[in-house]
Amino acid sequence: MVSIRAHDLHLDYQVREKLTLRPRDKRLPQTGGTISGTGSHRFVTALDGVSFELEAGDRLGLVGANGAGKTTLLKVLYGIYEPTAGSLEIRGRVDALFNINLGFRPEATGRRNILLRGLINGWTEAEIAARTEEIIEFSELGEFIDMPFKSYSQGMGARLAFAIATTLEPEILLMDEWIGAGDASFQEKASQRMNLLADKAGIIVLASHSEELLQKTCNKRLELEKGRVKHFGKMGPDDPA
Amino acid sequence: MLKILSNALTDIVGGYGQRRVWITLATEDIFDQHRRTTLGPLWLLVNYFAFAATFIFIFTPAPLDPLHAIYIGVGLLVWSYINDNITQAVTLFEREESFIKGTTLPLSVYVMRLTLQNLIRSAYALAGCVVILLLAGVTVSGAWLWSGLGVCLILVASPAVVTVFAFLGVFFPDSQFIIANLMRVAMFATPVFWGNAGGDPLRTVLFYWNPFTYFLAIVREPIVDGSAPLNSFGVCIAITLAMWAGAVLLLGTFRRQVALIV
Repeated sequence: MVSIRAHDLHLDYQVREKLTLRPRDKRLPQTGGTISGTGSHRFVTALDGVSFELEAGDRLGLVGANGAGKTTLLKVLYGIYEPTAGSLEIRGRVDALFNINLGFRPEATGRRNILLRGLINGWTEAEIAARTEEIIEFSELGEFIDMPFKSYSQGMGARLAFAIATTLEPEILLMDEWIGAGDASFQEKASQRMNLLADKAGIIVLASHSEELLQKTCNKRLELEKGRVKHFGKMGPDDPA
Repeated sequence: MLKILSNALTDIVGGYGQRRVWITLATEDIFDQHRRTTLGPLWLLVNYFAFAATFIFIFTPAPLDPLHAIYIGVGLLVWSYINDNITQAVTLFEREESFIKGTTLPLSVYVMRLTLQNLIRSAYALAGCVVILLLAGVTVSGAWLWSGLGVCLILVASPAVVTVFAFLGVFFPDSQFIIANLMRVAMFATPVFWGNAGGDPLRTVLFYWNPFTYFLAIVREPIVDGSAPLNSFGVCIAITLAMWAGAVLLLGTFRRQVALIV
């Protein structure tokens, strides 16, 4: 049974001062959260005691201000960041859409990019070949599929990325605030496909600032603030827009 | 220590399991770089020829010694491969940042992608080197098997060297410029196109205390002299083991932290 169980997740790390000859980089780390300490002993608490459980069919909307830890939590769920404390139990094949253009080569055709992106996602060549036509059809790229990716608009790229990520029907799909790149009809189509995935006993975790999208897509809501859970529960019509 | 070893092995085995990814990406990289050109990747062959010809015809005193042409041709081939691996490794994780922060691919995938890219480049240069050997009238002997063994040892050492320098680049960003300059100097401080007759004390020191000398020797000496450079093999094996120890230690300790640092 597909499920995600996160209990008291923490992601703390020391801001590693790079050895450098230029002035120190004082920018905040990209994981968000809170910073403690000073100088070379600065520590970031990117996630602080995050707990939640998702079962098959759940569609979780992750909300929070910039730097609240939404993307960091998605990356922990995907396995890019390793939690420093707490437990995380994930059952099901996970796929993620964090960056539309990741792995797409500008000079290669859309068709070639399907192969490349599929390989990066861990598919076999046989799996990719079996689904290529379905991806092309869903992405509505038509003859553009044999044109270089660099000739695509942002929306076309988003359609192709979404089609690739969802065609193999991942059991758990993680997405980070990108779906707005497509036009309204594509967003509707994408939303339908996400519902279909969830109906097939999958889990979707979607980080977004778009309350409209979250209301339309999700049945649960997790609000983060400075790496902590501010609210976790069912998505209701009264949730803030 | 066991955890470090286990972490490193997980990454390396995972990287091997994803070999279709790095083979495909490395091949795409080479063809992408030359996509709009008339000669395509054959430019790599032209580059090698131009470089080798400069050293053979301009920097070598007349009359032209065919053996010296072979010495330079093979030396340049090996040097270029080593140089490309080291100088590009320092910025490897920085260049792969979006992949590292957006996928769960093992770091070994990026290491092997770079290593294979440079191997493909060297394969084109090898075609040029073979032409030089043929023009110089070289005869194949059993000693060439030592050269083959030398090439294998360099290939075994390459991923470890790339890993060590890639981590150096993550923790010390200035190292990309320092290493680039050091390698530029090393090109002339390494017997790529000069030999050591023992007369010049500075050359003798550079010859014997330069680790690159031995990596060149294990491939070049069997072809040029027909000899088995056992001492050089000993030094290269020791360096390779040390590099792998360093690579395993770095991978095992920091592989999960790279995504938070780059």
